[in-house]
Parts: sequence; C-alpha cells; structure tokens
Amino acid sequence: MATRRVKSASTGRLRVAVLLLVFLAISGGVILRRTYGIAGARELLELDSRRAALVAERLRLEAEIRAAGSRAQLQPVAESRLGMRVPPDSNVIILPRHEP
Amino acid sequence: MTSSRRIGLVHLLLALFVIALLAKSARVQLWQGRRWAATALRQQSTERSIPAPRGPILDARGEMLAQSRETVKLEIAPTEVRNLRRLRQALQRGGIPAEWVARATDPRRRWVMIPGRYLAIDVAAATAMRGVYTTPVVERSYAISAGTRHVVGRVDADGRAVDGLELALDSLLRGKAGSATVMRDARGRRFESPSSPGAPPVQGNTVVLTINQELQEIAERALADAVASMEAEGGDVLVLDPSNGEVLAMASQRGDPRATASTALTEPYEPGSTVKPLIASALLQQNRARETEIVNTFGGQLTINGRTITDDHPAAQYSLADVIRFSSNIGIVQFASRLQPREEFEALRDFGFGMPTGIAYPVEAAGTLRDPTRWSRQSANSMAMGYEIAVTPMQLASAYVAIANGGELLEPTLVREVRDPQGAVRYRHTRRVVRRVMSADVARRVRRMLLGVVEEGGTAKRADLGNFSLAGKTGTTRRIVNGQYRLSEHIPTFVGLFPGDNPQFVILVKLDNPKGAYSGGLTAAPVTKAVIEAALASRNASLDRGHLAASRVERPATPDRVAAVAALETGDSADARRRLLAQRAALADSAEVPTASVVALLPLPPDTAHARPLADRMIPDVAGLSVRSAVHALHAAGFRVRLVNGPAAVTSPGAGSIARAGSLVHLGTSP
Repeated sequence: MATRRVKSASTGRLRVAVLLLVFLAISGGVILRRTYGIAGARELLELDSRRAALVAERLRLEAEIRAAGSRAQLQPVAESRLGMRVPPDSNVIILPRHEP
Repeated sequence: MTSSRRIGLVHLLLALFVIALLAKSARVQLWQGRRWAATALRQQSTERSIPAPRGPILDARGEMLAQSRETVKLEIAPTEVRNLRRLRQALQRGGIPAEWVARATDPRRRWVMIPGRYLAIDVAAATAMRGVYTTPVVERSYAISAGTRHVVGRVDADGRAVDGLELALDSLLRGKAGSATVMRDARGRRFESPSSPGAPPVQGNTVVLTINQELQEIAERALADAVASMEAEGGDVLVLDPSNGEVLAMASQRGDPRATASTALTEPYEPGSTVKPLIASALLQQNRARETEIVNTFGGQLTINGRTITDDHPAAQYSLADVIRFSSNIGIVQFASRLQPREEFEALRDFGFGMPTGIAYPVEAAGTLRDPTRWSRQSANSMAMGYEIAVTPMQLASAYVAIANGGELLEPTLVREVRDPQGAVRYRHTRRVVRRVMSADVARRVRRMLLGVVEEGGTAKRADLGNFSLAGKTGTTRRIVNGQYRLSEHIPTFVGLFPGDNPQFVILVKLDNPKGAYSGGLTAAPVTKAVIEAALASRNASLDRGHLAASRVERPATPDRVAAVAALETGDSADARRRLLAQRAALADSAEVPTASVVALLPLPPDTAHARPLADRMIPDVAGLSVRSAVHALHAAGFRVRLVNGPAAVTSPGAGSIARAGSLVHLGTSP
C-alpha cells in the first residue's frame, strides 16, 4: 500500500516537472522568437532608412550632374574660356543618307 | 493552535490569494482587456504616417525636371545626449548653422528644433546618437532653369502645390501616404512592428511634359541676351510644334521677381501687325482677295473716319502679298474693308482670340475680343492692324500654328504623357483639333506670303537664315500704361515658322519696351534667328533632321550674293534686292535637295569668309576614311561636299587634283 503511494507521488512530481519544462521551453522559444523578430525589425528599419538616405543622396548627385552639364551652365563657359560659339545655320551640315 | 490547523490556515490564505489573483487577472484580461491593450499600444507604439513622394516631372526627352527626395527634420534633446562634443562635431559636418549647433548642444535647453531639412546621409553621424530625433520629410527638388520653374511651378514647405503644373496636375502628382506602426523598446529605440506591417506609401504619377529642356534653355538664353542687350523690361519666347500643338519651350522674363507665372499665358497685349496674315487668310478663304491683287495705299498716308493711318514703307499701291511683306497698315485696312465687322470678328474668334486655349495651366488669360455691337467706327480698321484686341503670346502662337500645319487650330498642350508608378501609360496626348480655320491651300498661300517678310526687303530680313527658309511676321505696338498709349514704349513681336516650307517650329518672340530700336524686325526677329541657329546646332532640340535636310537650300557665296551683302551693308537696298533676285532665280533652276537624316556639326568659318579671294588647292586623299571623316577633311581643305552614289571615299575631282577652294567636290558613299 505504502509502496503504491510513494510510486504515485513520484509519478505526479515527474509529470509536474515535465509540464514545467515544456512550459519553460515553449516560453523560451516564444521569447527567443520575439527577440529575433524585434532585432530583425529594427535592423530592417535601419536599412530602410539608410536606403532612403542613399536614394536621396543619389538624386541630389544626379541633379547636380544635370545642372553642371546643362546648356545654361556650359555655354557661357565654352564661349568665354574656349572661344566657342553657336554656329550659323550655314555651318551646320546635314549629311544625306541615300536610300538603300 | 495545532500545527495542522496553522498549515490549513496558510493553505487557505494561499488559496484566497490565488483566487484573488485569478479574479484580478480575469478582470484585467476579460473585462478591461481592450482598454489596457489600447493603453499599452499607445505607450509602446506609435502610428506613423509615411509621406508619399510626388510623382516626378520629366521633359520630353525624359530629363528630370522635378522629383521628390526624402530629407529629415532634426529635433534634439540636449539633456539626453551623452557626448555633446561629438554631437557638435557631427552637426557641424552636417552643415547645420553654427548658431543652431550652439543651441542644440546647450545642456540647459530641454528641446531644440533645428530649422531646415537635411539629407539623412549628411547628418547620419548625428542621428545615430541618443537624444537626436528625426522626422522624415519629402522634399521637392528642381534641377531646372528659372524659366522652366515658371512652367513647372512649386510646392510649399508642407508639400502642397502652389502654382504652375504642380498645381494644375496636383491630383495626378500627389501620391498616397502610407502608414506604419512603430514600436519602442525598453531603451526607447524605434522599430517597425513585426505584427502590423502597415501600408507602404504610393508615389504619385509620372508626368512627361512636352517641354524640351535643351530648347527651353536655348530660348531662355536668347531671351536673356536680348533683354540685356536691348535693355528691355522683359519678354517671352514660345516654341510650338505645329504638327500637334505641343509647347516645346516657353521662356518668360520679367523685371519683377514676384512674377512667378508664365506670362506667355497670363499677360494679354495688342499683337499689332502680326494679326495681318490672319486677316489675309480670312480674305483668301472667302475669296475676297488674291495675293497679287493690288490696292491703293495713297503714298503711305490715309485719313479714314477722321483718323490718319500711316505706313513705315510708303508706296502708291501694294498687292496683298506686299501688304504682308512690308506690313502696310493702309493696305490691310483697305483689304479688311471687304469683310463685314461680323466676318472680321468671326475670323479672329476662329483663331481662338478672346477665349483661353484650354492648356493645362492653373491660370490663363482669355484676352479681349469685343463683339461687333460694341465696336466704334475705328474698330474694324484698328483690329485689322492688331489694335483694340488683346491676345496672349500663346493665343497668337496657336493662331500661327494653324497657318503652319495647313489650316487646323490645335489645342496647345504642355503634357505629353502621364504614367502610373508601375510605368503604365494612363494618358497620352493626342492631337486635338479645335477647328479648321482655313483650307490647306490658303494656309500654303499665306505661308508663301510670310516667306517674303523675312526675305530681302521684308520687315524681318534680320531673321533671314543662310541655308534655310524662315517665314514669319513682325508686329510692333505701343505699350498701354494706365489705359494710355505711351509714345516711347513699344512691344515688338515676331512670329516665325521654321523651316518656311514645312514648319517644324512656330516661334514667337515678344519683348517689352526695348530701348533704342524697337521694331519687331530689328529686335524680336534676330532673337528668333538666334533660337533657330542654336537649335540647329544642338542634337536634342526636337528638330526632325530627316525632313529638315529636304528644307535646306544651298546658297553658295556667288558673286551676286557677296555683292548683295556688301550693298546691304552700305545701305543700297535697291541694288541688294536686284542682285538677290537674280541669285534666287539661278538657284531655282538648280534646286536639287536630297533626303537626309544624318547630321554633322562642323566647326566651319562663317559664310563671310567666302567673300575673300579664293585660291586653288589640292583635293586631299580621303581613301579609307569614314564618310563623316572624309567630309570633315574636305571641308577642312576648303571644299564644299556633295555625297553621291559611287565608290566609297572616292572624290570627283580625284585626290591630288587642283581645284578652286570653295568649289564642289563629289564624294562617293556606296560600300
């Protein structure tokens, strides 16, 4: 009789311990998953911000290149430094292309 | 109390505690769960609106005119910053003004909002620090000239459209803002909620304009040069494609910096003699006159209804073609008298005067065209000379578009295409005919008359080109200030069709009150020539060079032409006219224009060099050279070149032959 009581008590403790372990394992898994998820989200946000910043920088550089290469910018320089000029129409030769 | 009782009491208390805990949990979770969840959400996360970038605006060739980019606004809590010295350095490197760097690093301040917007990459070192907060802001940037900005318009600091096409097309350009749930961790660092990803912003549509930025800059430069050299108060240059009504360039300049709108659309004025070809077209259309028909012009002075009308080029009589060529006021009044007031009114109304053109722009003036019931006895004559009506430069250019394209009045447009963010075309401009105002034959006859205006003896000979024809009409009116004509202030105009035989451009140049010479032929016409020459020298100015080659007229430096130019310079215009007419007749006999589409821009000396005595030279050997290089070599040696079917790189006369410099060398192009 006494042996049976001892056996059932130890089985109960074992069950509780297993349940606790399972609970801890699941909780740990959830916490770990959330931690990685949040870290990933934070990294994603940083990368997104960085991408937006780089895109903005690219747009600025492209705009500067366009402005620097524009006719309004280059023509005065070409005229004053290189002595170039807009040719009269008689100096513009249009080469004819014969029909094949 | 026995030990078992004490143990029972403890158990009871523990049980009660557990029950209370469960009860409280049930209350918090079940009864108050939503409220507490909302409170937690408020504390741990924020809903962030992500501004949507406006759609880009491109020119006709795809060059970026306006675009949105993300910038940040900086807010700093100096008390939270751990290393103020490092923050100071970072802010200085980011281009923050020294005054605001000092404020932002002053530990006595709790919160500093730094004015202005900065590229995130410039202030990245600062924003990585604790205590520095950023708010993303979409900023509109314009990589365009001041003149184009009048067309494109602006948005204010909050991203709201203010004027120009930004305002007119706001519903298309404006994007759809996105949203995101941003969480904060225990350290206050932000991250996007993984469980509620939010909605990304949707960029606005892309708008492609008809404006050609290259041509726009050419027009702006020509206008700026003219305004500066003639000390004018401003001016407008418009270039339209007569085949479809597209506005290729629209440059405006005003002394008043507050004038931000494109004045070519907003400022009506009396167009003067530029109306005469429109009256002539109505006369031709209704068979009330022919080009060769002659009227008495009374030696340049005529009094009608108590008003004396004079001509700048007095003559006893003029044909209709000469009335246009010499811009005779008396002649056009004589011819216009064949139209009833109602017919004259309807003719001008049919050209679109008195009503907006309907172009997509936030503001456009309708101009003034009074009903005949409100005309005075002078009105019919005044209107035939371009007075008592007011038109915008756009209306006037549109009327000439009809002459240029064979008689159809087109709706002008600034927008060629609208694409959604995925690139699918949502709208594409198609040619919209408002009405036919003259037959194709009448349009051709009017164009022929307009060619005479630019030729020798016409009022716009200063716009004459070397190897291309230009048709056009000058106009010069007195300026109205406070309802009174100012005798010494004028508005000269020139409207040109280029090339004259098959126009690709309708160019309107208007100047406001130039000092010194003020007639349209002396002021506005040379500006038109400058625009055309620069456009010809540019590869990207919306010219169809295949068709242009067919319009090219070879005008060699014949002795007659050289002598004519010399006669012009010495003021002997009668001799010049005789010589040029002789030359033109000779050219008509030998006109042979091949089709072409390849363009080479060669740095040749101007035509005047041909007037020098020409020496004999040796024809260079161009064997093995490409056609382009061979032509270049022959030009460099001083010869003119004609490409012919024949063995490649073989010249006639052959290499090594002696020929007169400036003579024609045939170059074979067949493989």
